[in-house]
Amino acid sequence: MMQFNALLFKELKEAFRDKRALAAALMLALMAPVMIFAISKMAIKEAVEKPDIFINVTGAEYAPKLIEAMAKENILLLSDVPQDKQTLWQERDVRLTIPESFAEDMVAGKQIKMTLSADYSDNALRSPLRRIKNTINGYSRNIGYRRMMVRGIDVKLMQPINLIEFDEAVPSSNAMFISMLLGIYLLMAAFMSGLSVAIDSSAGERERNVLEVILCQPVKTLNIVLAKLSCASLIAVIGVVLTLVLTSVAVSFIDLTTIGATFTLDGYTIAVLVALLLPICLFASALQLFFAFQAKSFKEAQSTVSMIIILPALIPAALTFIQDKPKWLEWAPISGQYLLMEDLFKAVPINMEMLFFTGVVTLVMTVVLVQTMAKKLTSEKTVLALS
Amino acid sequence: MKIKGAIIFSIASIFSHLSHAQQSPVEACHIEGIKAKVQCGSLTVPQDYAQKDGETLEINFAVLPAIDNSQYNEPLMFLAGGPGQAAAELSPMINRVFYDIRKTRDIILVDQRGTGRSSPLACLENIELDPYILIPENLTTTEIQQCLDALPSDLSHYTSENAIRDFDAVRAALGHEKVHIYGGSYGTRAALVYMRLFPESLQTVTLDSVGPVEVPIGLFGQSASRSFDLLLKHCKEDAACNNAFPNLRGDFDAVVAALKESPIEVTIPHPTLGTPTRFVISKSRLISTVRLQLYSTRGRYMVPLIISQAAQGNYLPLAGLVAQSAEGLGMYVGLTFNIVCSEDLPRVTEQMKTTDADNTFGQDDSHSAFNVACSVWPKYQVDEAFYEPVTANIPTLILSGNLDPVTPPSNGDFPAKTLPNNKHIVLEHASHTVAMSTCASDLVAQFVKEQDPKALDESCLALIEKPSFMTSLNSDL
Repeated sequence: MMQFNALLFKELKEAFRDKRALAAALMLALMAPVMIFAISKMAIKEAVEKPDIFINVTGAEYAPKLIEAMAKENILLLSDVPQDKQTLWQERDVRLTIPESFAEDMVAGKQIKMTLSADYSDNALRSPLRRIKNTINGYSRNIGYRRMMVRGIDVKLMQPINLIEFDEAVPSSNAMFISMLLGIYLLMAAFMSGLSVAIDSSAGERERNVLEVILCQPVKTLNIVLAKLSCASLIAVIGVVLTLVLTSVAVSFIDLTTIGATFTLDGYTIAVLVALLLPICLFASALQLFFAFQAKSFKEAQSTVSMIIILPALIPAALTFIQDKPKWLEWAPISGQYLLMEDLFKAVPINMEMLFFTGVVTLVMTVVLVQTMAKKLTSEKTVLALS
Repeated sequence: MKIKGAIIFSIASIFSHLSHAQQSPVEACHIEGIKAKVQCGSLTVPQDYAQKDGETLEINFAVLPAIDNSQYNEPLMFLAGGPGQAAAELSPMINRVFYDIRKTRDIILVDQRGTGRSSPLACLENIELDPYILIPENLTTTEIQQCLDALPSDLSHYTSENAIRDFDAVRAALGHEKVHIYGGSYGTRAALVYMRLFPESLQTVTLDSVGPVEVPIGLFGQSASRSFDLLLKHCKEDAACNNAFPNLRGDFDAVVAALKESPIEVTIPHPTLGTPTRFVISKSRLISTVRLQLYSTRGRYMVPLIISQAAQGNYLPLAGLVAQSAEGLGMYVGLTFNIVCSEDLPRVTEQMKTTDADNTFGQDDSHSAFNVACSVWPKYQVDEAFYEPVTANIPTLILSGNLDPVTPPSNGDFPAKTLPNNKHIVLEHASHTVAMSTCASDLVAQFVKEQDPKALDESCLALIEKPSFMTSLNSDL
């Protein structure tokens, strides 16, 4: 135990000495809340706000009620555009042409042709154009209904089917996009925070010939590996916890209720998340150490390990495309944890067995990695990177 | 490693305990018109509150749960109109209108006893009626008796006061110390009774289109006539409307005079089936259909055209309107009669009826159905104190629509006089239950939040559009 403690102390000292590397490692914890904040702000804006749209209407005087109906939806005449937005909307040049015969055709019950012209490939115009079309179509539909009614027709005939939608989701699952984004960030934090420490204490030490010196001492290789693992996974845990804390602070600044969503990280959720992610932190660090030891140089270690950190982003993405998930995915590391997080954020009761067994499987795989490493370190080939 | 596994396992077992901990009086359910899950429940209450161990009733209710329930806020309870509307059946509309309130508060919708799924007193609905042939004038005591036969024999417990006792029992069962209440139309009467019976249960009260305890329900002659006169005036002021219908008053009087002589019968394509069908138009059919349109600005929009077309002998627009309400208005008429016949009509004197019938719109049309029904309907006794003005020091917001054909702004003055902490807002261009169709719903949200009726930001009310009208069979410009 003393040996292990001494080794761990050494690893930690080295890890915390390089402040810049440490800061870089924990960057992700800062990135998650910022990204989640920005994305949800944008989502709310999209869903709720109806910013002014200014369009160039020819023949507005022929259809005052339509113009009124559009104004109610913040679709205004280009002539009313404020100074600061003038160039923007003049360039966008959305034009609506109302025919001179509007009144005549309306009274005669003839179809009125109106032209809406704009650059439909302009992405920034997609939402305004949709709003203009919806408003005009709604206005038109309203008149249609009334025309039917005053002709003695039951207007319900216009809607043969009334599709009633029942969403079976548990109410709190409606902020899923934020929750799942956080889930992926947490997985990535587990993988990325310990990364630099893992590489440095393995491939880095070997390149600096420190590893050789340590191995010359009368210490068990298992203790060496465990010390390195503890240090790297500790940083990973710090990363995960920071991400959690900062995100819950950031999200509290957003009023998600405006879009009918809520997001709260309560004690239970945090506890389950930590229980989920602790084994992942250990597993991730073990995996990184393993591959870094395998690599011939520091540089090579960097590139192989970089490939590993794609896993937490890739696996969740892949899971969303798998229709019938095979059972083993629930037990495998990363995918198991991801599926559990999905349930957790949907407020579906957590399958405790699944939580337990993914954790065990993940830990068993970590143990295997640790033991393989310990064994490999007894061979000169590994130490001198001859393999 | 073993130890770590054991720790995780023990954490896991704690959680599984936690998730089964709470037992709640509501369960998740779906309501037509709301996509997300809401909560439904029912509560057993005594049929007679004086005999608590006697027979019981099941009171059905729905809770639209707060979207963000991270903090506790007193819920809003909605008191439905009528009497005879079922609150839970109005969920989709309430969800839309009070969405701002629902962001942070539960909304409680209790089916008043006798409505919805709380021992409904449905009437007429179960008799096959052809709305195009049956005219209100033909309603006789036989139909009322038929309806009564299908109802429970003792109706004396379906009172306004017992309904309030049920509401307060639901409040307590849901574990709320206080609630905010919003009542619309008859719901304001219910709210006033609530304020008298359980003032300590109420945080704020919103009375929208007031039916004060002092004014009996059922005499709508004067108020409907006033509302109709305003419509004529607005049509005169609107260039397009005046141009299209220069003699609207004359047209209306002519049609009414002709129908008073005898009902008119025409053959029209059935509005729903398309097959040739008889359509009988009587004075009461015309008046009651038009009066129903006066309840909303959207309905008022159609009225000049309908009258002018009828004057020209075209009754199709009227048929189209009848078709809209052919499947009933979602009212449990048995409860309507039960309450009005016992709580309101006994207080109406012949003199009051004569005064009310002295108007230029429907004369005595609004009383006729009640006169027939109440002549055979069994009555219960209401305490004199029931009609006393209500006083309670609870923040109260009173809303009235100037165009309202049943609860005119003058009704709102009654509670405004006797409630110490109130504000009465009259909306110039709105009709019945103003929060349902205007930005007054934002005022209610602000009021519930800040609880100060005097400090509301009323600026949005100025933006409510002036009345406009449909000027031809192909709409307006």
